[in-house]
Amino acid sequence: MRKRVQRRPFDTFKYILRKVILLLLAVIVAFPLLYMFSSSFFSPKDFNNLRLFTVTPRWSNYAKALGHGYFGSFIFNSIGTSVLAALIRTCVVVLAAFAFTHLRFKGKNLILGALVLTLFVPQEAILYQNYKTVATLGMLNTWAGIIATSLFSAAQMLLLMGSFVSHGMQAYDAARIDGASDIRYIWDVLLPLSGPAVLTVMIQTLITTFNNYLWPLLVTNRPRSRTIQVGITMLGFSESGETGAQMAALVMVTVPFLVIMALAKKRIETALISK
Amino acid sequence: MKNASNLIHRTKPYLFVAPAVLLAALFCWFPALKGFLESFLTVNQAGKVLGFAGLGNYRILFSDKAFLSSLKITGLFIVLFVPANTFLTLLAASLTRRKSRHSSVPEYIFFSPVAISLSAYSLLFKELFRGKSSVINRILGLNSGWITEPAGAMVTVVILGVFLDFGIDYILLMCAFRSTDRNVIEAARMDGAGGWRLFFDMELPLIRETVLVTVFLALKDAILISAPIIILTEGGPFRSTETIMFYYYVEAFKSGNRAVQNSLASLVLSLAACAMAVYNIRRRRQP
Repeated sequence: MRKRVQRRPFDTFKYILRKVILLLLAVIVAFPLLYMFSSSFFSPKDFNNLRLFTVTPRWSNYAKALGHGYFGSFIFNSIGTSVLAALIRTCVVVLAAFAFTHLRFKGKNLILGALVLTLFVPQEAILYQNYKTVATLGMLNTWAGIIATSLFSAAQMLLLMGSFVSHGMQAYDAARIDGASDIRYIWDVLLPLSGPAVLTVMIQTLITTFNNYLWPLLVTNRPRSRTIQVGITMLGFSESGETGAQMAALVMVTVPFLVIMALAKKRIETALISK
Repeated sequence: MKNASNLIHRTKPYLFVAPAVLLAALFCWFPALKGFLESFLTVNQAGKVLGFAGLGNYRILFSDKAFLSSLKITGLFIVLFVPANTFLTLLAASLTRRKSRHSSVPEYIFFSPVAISLSAYSLLFKELFRGKSSVINRILGLNSGWITEPAGAMVTVVILGVFLDFGIDYILLMCAFRSTDRNVIEAARMDGAGGWRLFFDMELPLIRETVLVTVFLALKDAILISAPIIILTEGGPFRSTETIMFYYYVEAFKSGNRAVQNSLASLVLSLAACAMAVYNIRRRRQP
């Protein structure tokens, strides 16, 4: 406290410098987002004149984006595939994590090791082989093809295993004595106990699948089958001088995630900050 | 009867792990192995094996000027991107490392890039940095051609890369700063350490592990970058932003070049495996 009272001029200078740098950095980081919002109301002329704000805001950009022939099906495909992927992946990962933490079986460590090995393989390096597999299975242009490669994650399995182990085995032993089946135990006891971890897995999968670009680009070639992240680059608004409509489309795709981020920030921080 | 129930009891664990194993096999082990084996074979466009090639495919790859240039460009990208990314995220995290009354506003701003998707950022940058007549030039008073000229395009991709990783790196680093034991730092402060010394000798070393994680993630993203380039520059102008994985994307999916595709994929795979192994061994050693 005493130090603060006797602040020397140099300390004040350093304090101001810190605040200036902070402000500058914040403005830079926020700028593309702010420009996206602002320019979604621009007329083509505003883009030509390199404006940052417009005096004649146009809502028609939003109408134009929504009126795009495929915008609806892009969004529908994205929501459908990401919800489906989140549900299936959570089931797959929960079942595996349960088996590895609660059951005893031959070759357990070998299988676990082999699954963890998938962490070492970047999706990008097996893109072509996976594309071939999906094509052979006749899943091009289908939801199944879009989600096929994101239905299992070793990282999330390990996360859940950590959570499952932390609750101990007493509840499981008690449930077994009561004659409850494993599925019953998972549903009634394990999932409620590991709520936050399971929810993390679901939300993570939902967001990464929704925001995936390269894989959906490769396995879809019909406009109607595309997801929004791929489709949004092919709306054709910018090419026809309607950049405002392009920006309006970006705003509509981004806002839901800004809301999720704002709601989840506290939770993420509590999870990351170890005291 | 007892036998049957015993059998069910014994196969049940395998049923639980079966979906995971099946998916891992189909979309990871099998393709990785197949790609690796095929990189030593001559395979035609249709996927038919014509014979043993030894290191022939790798020779073809390394004699391709476009590949060698993509190696150089990826190297340049790493050199520019990784330090910039580390410095800026660390700067943001250290400026907000102490909770104060108004710190949540910059926190939200620095975290916000996680909400903006790769294609959204790429499209935004395409507009902001579109050329001589662009918003960025107007604000900065510059006359750069940005994505229309080689050096400018590389700089734009680097800036885009920093934005794409900013949110997640920031939150990791900021939380790491706040997880450190304040008592240790306060004790050092009592001993008269302050300002820069305190930060560089105490606070930064305490979060070394998290900094390493973000550097590692940045390196991985830099080696594997392709999608932002597909949207923003398509490798151009004059192939100036054609990174390894963009080259892979073009060769595998546009030209159908099996020799280059398999050998390059195997190289990236081996590199990733080595990097992950080194990283995991390092982490194991830490208590």
